[in-house]
Amino acid sequence: MIRAVMVISTQGKPRLLKFYEFQPPEKQQEIVRYVYGALSGRPENVSNFVDADSIFGQGTRLVYKHMATLYIVFAFDSSENELAMLDLIQVFVQTLDKCFKNVCELDIIFNFNKLHTILDEMILGGQVIETNSDQILKHVDDIARIEKSSSTTSLVPKSISARFGR
Amino acid sequence: MALSGMRGLSVFISDIRNCQNKEQERLRVDKELGNIRTRFKNEKGLSHYEKKKYVWKMLYIYMLGYDVDFGHSEAVSLISAPKYPEKQVGYIVTSCLLNENHDFLRMVINTVRNDIIGRNETFQCLALTMVGNIGGKEFSESLAPDVQRLLISSSCRPVVRKKAALCLLRLYRKNPDVVNVDGWADRMAQLLDERDLGVLTAVMSLFVSLVSNNAEVYWNCLPKCVRILERLARNQDVPPEYTYYGIPSPWLQVKTMRALQYFPTIEDPSARRALFEVLQRILMGTDVVKNVNKNNASHAVLFEALALVMHLDAEKEMMTQCVALLGKFIAVREPNIRYLGLENMTRMLLVTDVQDIIKRHQAQIITSLKDPDISIRRRALDLLYGMCDVTNAKDIVEELLQYLNTAEFAMREELSLKAAILAEKFAPDLSWYVDVILQLIDKAGDFVSDDIWYRVVQFVTNNDDLQPYAALKAREYLDKPAPHETMVKISAYLLGEYGHLLAQRPGCSPKELFLLLNEKIPTVATNTIAILLSSYAKILMHTQPPDPELQEQILIIFRKYESYIDVEIQQRAVEYFELSKKGPALADILAEMPKFPERQSALLRKAEDAEVDTAEQSAIKLRSQQQSSTALVVSSDPHPPNGAVPLTPQLSLVRVPSQTVEEVDHEIATENGLAVIPESKVEPEQVQPEPEPVAAPIQPEHVPVPVNTEPVPAKPPPSAGDLLVDLLGPLMIEGPPAPTGPEAPPSGPHVPPVQATPVAAVSERNLNQGLDLGQELAGALAITTLEDQANSIQPVVNLAEKFHLLCLKDSGVLYEDPYIQIGVKAEWRAHHGRLVLFLGNKNTAPLASVQALILPPAHLQIELSSVPDAIPPRAQVQCPLEVINLRASRDVAVLDFSYKFGTAVVNAKLRLPAVLNKFLQPIALTPEEFFPQWKALAGPPLKLQEVVRGVKPMPLHEMANLFMSLHLAVTPGLDANPNNLVACATFYSETTRAMLCLVRIETDPSDRTQLRMTLASGDPSLTFELKEFIKEHLISIPMAVPSSPVARPVGPAPVQPQSPQTPSRYNDPGAMLAGLL
Repeated sequence: MIRAVMVISTQGKPRLLKFYEFQPPEKQQEIVRYVYGALSGRPENVSNFVDADSIFGQGTRLVYKHMATLYIVFAFDSSENELAMLDLIQVFVQTLDKCFKNVCELDIIFNFNKLHTILDEMILGGQVIETNSDQILKHVDDIARIEKSSSTTSLVPKSISARFGR
Repeated sequence: MALSGMRGLSVFISDIRNCQNKEQERLRVDKELGNIRTRFKNEKGLSHYEKKKYVWKMLYIYMLGYDVDFGHSEAVSLISAPKYPEKQVGYIVTSCLLNENHDFLRMVINTVRNDIIGRNETFQCLALTMVGNIGGKEFSESLAPDVQRLLISSSCRPVVRKKAALCLLRLYRKNPDVVNVDGWADRMAQLLDERDLGVLTAVMSLFVSLVSNNAEVYWNCLPKCVRILERLARNQDVPPEYTYYGIPSPWLQVKTMRALQYFPTIEDPSARRALFEVLQRILMGTDVVKNVNKNNASHAVLFEALALVMHLDAEKEMMTQCVALLGKFIAVREPNIRYLGLENMTRMLLVTDVQDIIKRHQAQIITSLKDPDISIRRRALDLLYGMCDVTNAKDIVEELLQYLNTAEFAMREELSLKAAILAEKFAPDLSWYVDVILQLIDKAGDFVSDDIWYRVVQFVTNNDDLQPYAALKAREYLDKPAPHETMVKISAYLLGEYGHLLAQRPGCSPKELFLLLNEKIPTVATNTIAILLSSYAKILMHTQPPDPELQEQILIIFRKYESYIDVEIQQRAVEYFELSKKGPALADILAEMPKFPERQSALLRKAEDAEVDTAEQSAIKLRSQQQSSTALVVSSDPHPPNGAVPLTPQLSLVRVPSQTVEEVDHEIATENGLAVIPESKVEPEQVQPEPEPVAAPIQPEHVPVPVNTEPVPAKPPPSAGDLLVDLLGPLMIEGPPAPTGPEAPPSGPHVPPVQATPVAAVSERNLNQGLDLGQELAGALAITTLEDQANSIQPVVNLAEKFHLLCLKDSGVLYEDPYIQIGVKAEWRAHHGRLVLFLGNKNTAPLASVQALILPPAHLQIELSSVPDAIPPRAQVQCPLEVINLRASRDVAVLDFSYKFGTAVVNAKLRLPAVLNKFLQPIALTPEEFFPQWKALAGPPLKLQEVVRGVKPMPLHEMANLFMSLHLAVTPGLDANPNNLVACATFYSETTRAMLCLVRIETDPSDRTQLRMTLASGDPSLTFELKEFIKEHLISIPMAVPSSPVARPVGPAPVQPQSPQTPSRYNDPGAMLAGLL
């Protein structure tokens, strides 16, 4: 299963963290530091795989892609195929690219909530659920539409909603 | 809302981004958390929109690494919101913030259930996603039937059903009972008929999990899997949205093949034929293309096919094809393919008959050992390790040794261990084995455990031909500058035992050997000194005719160590000194070691155990079995995972409760008409001279020699301890082996006398000395106490406080009483230090009989220039002190100072501020420098972590100042958390040279009295000592208690755990006195 999806900037700052097995906050940060440490030292043109036994347990690995100022990292155990995981990162990147039109780090920083929505359409409980970026986007758009149609509250000025609340 | 922007959230994020430093960020976060907290408190005025916005902010703050300990109920309550946007946020944030056992989840279980069984598809999806992400026993019990129903329902849309499949998988993992095995085999078969590839992918994931636990039940599903694979491989009826770079859903193909690997075999001939056809097509039809993504996808399928072929143990022809493919892969430029090629080749080693084909690629694999990518190097190392046998061991081990020269820290340990194992397992001849281990010690001595060199000694002892060779090699390595301590140990042993075989060679006369060994004695640890002393005794014995000059030199050494602080060393020195007077009888007593009984290598056993453990831990049974058996070339006979058992018998000899030993001792001693060894002679832990007859019945297998030494005070690990006893015991005093020993030297009827003589002599002597020592000690204590009671002259300063201050700065007052003031000024450069003591006479009368004596701990070399006998009135005398730091230790040097004023004798024992941190030099590291180091020092004993309680509460900046004054450079910005503190310094000592030390302190803002400290350095004892040292400074500072020179609070730290590496405290005069002070 996929243990975690992480987007970490090349400065070591977490931009998106999603763990499919609960990790307490300190452990999450330890993982971010470990992963960043493991990746930042790697030269260009090497493999996309890194052993992660010491942080995620026996037999786990990281697969990552380095895109501009971001590392996109999946941690997974021995029940997954390494290259299939790499493909999945590619699907994730494609989806982001389509969603934000040439995605950059700022898009990801300011839309971290949207990223969670996208990720939930792609991976569920550590298993891949959808592998086509257009399909993922379609689901996300559907959600956006439902939101719009039901989100009248946000259009009501604050003062009024406050009065209704009373 | 999740998708359209929320202004407040964006503003907050950009505020965070604008923060210049971590401190600002923390302030901003604290402000926001405060704001959210107040808003949540009077919930009435809160709209859903606001609530949602705050919950997102919480998640953002949480991601930044701040603990968000409130607001969970608000997040969870959003799940019950009627509108989609709020509900969605509630579900997403809840699944990120809460763990499966959180109480709040119980509150919403009904809402979640209603969403799952309700008619709203989008709500169903949200609920299934959260339950699938969190798991949880309670969810599992109450929701599984509903989720199952959705999965098999024909009215649900695929988007819901695939989520239901994965949700069920998660619930099944938590609680396997939710899937009823009998009913599910048929149901699963139906589900595998699914046409929608999205649903099928999810169902296949579920199936993999089910079948991995119980393949037999799902036989009926096997043909279906083959059919799915056929459909995809032939690209039949695959809609374009499930084609990825022209390849029909690689994920589903991979999963299907993974599922097939859980069936032991495929018996149905038609299914088998169909499957092999598909596999053949995949193996043959995959080309390397330009597009990287397409390549990745097609090779994902190809590697899975390879794994399946290997699993099914296909026809020879297909196997050959696989090996050929892998041979191609390990030579390609594309690093991912090469990485997987190496890994799969290691797995392939399982299959018989391919070993020879794989060996053809050895040169290529060795190239990968030099790849810039550590991931690839690791795989290459695994493969080389797996493919090694008698025919290629020499080449492979030599490559590993060569690689050891350049390998980074992270790999050195694994590398040296693997080289040692291979060398032992496949050594074509023993001299080669000796060569390899000596090289290993030379290149990576820190990673060569004692087991390894004990093994060399065993081999050399048991093989006469090997002895001159090994001795010569040892001699050569000892010539190199600064040999590793392990090298000193093994060389000392070999030269003592077999050095005389070299006597004819230039530079190998007994005297030269002795001088060479004796050069090392000032810098080695206690247990090495023990070996060196034994060596000297052996050299002395072998020097025939006797060389009076050499004898004189050696006797001087024995004399010197008779008063050494360590009892074990003392005893050896005393015994050897006495024995050396015995003349020819010495040759009998110190005769050559008898052969060791054959025994299994501790190293190999450990290696096997580690592999067995690995197999047990791994989640996927079948695959891990494959993996471990690949690595486990050793597996000639399986061992229980707890390897401790076979070793312990040898230990029993020394582990006999001291009481019993004494009794037995007593008995035997009396029988032999000898003086009874007094109990006070040695510490109870010290094993007493124990005549052979006792040993034999307890442990018949044990080497038949008296074990009268246990050099364990410095060696706590039992396995190391017992082995050491094994080796060193016989070395000590070679009482003639028991009659059972076939190699027993001719002794005849006078066995008991010979055996008894040394013991008698020794015990007599020990008796005297032990008593003397005891008296001396007691006397010293008594005198000091008495003196103090009578002593009217008291220091006018708080000595503990002064000492503490001097630890943090370099000049100040060390001691002051009405007559004298002692000031200190110090300069430190690397591992050298220069202290000047300023002795100032405050009176108009001279101070007489001034005496200053330095009691240095074992790790410091201190030289005090002469101190004048008297200090004239109102004069100040300067006494410079030179300090050299040999290694890391918290022990303190003590200045024993006394003078006479009139008739009063004043004596003070003062701790000198030549402490650990003085040999630190602050160094600021950039993140690029810091993190690789931090990472490289992965775990104990190089990196230690401890939660420290009872810390003196202080604000973080104050703690930073403290660190600065301890010479540790606090480097802001390395740690993202503002409550943490990271500091670096270089530690200098003669043994470690410059060694980087990294410290991380994690404080808890809500409880300043505790913190977590992590310390890393390249030297285990340094790490430990520095950790304890810092702890001492954090826990409390000396209280301002009026103190006398004796009755003074002991160390500043309430707890002083013993270092595992360094000799116990009592080994050290300084430490002992510091303890008394």
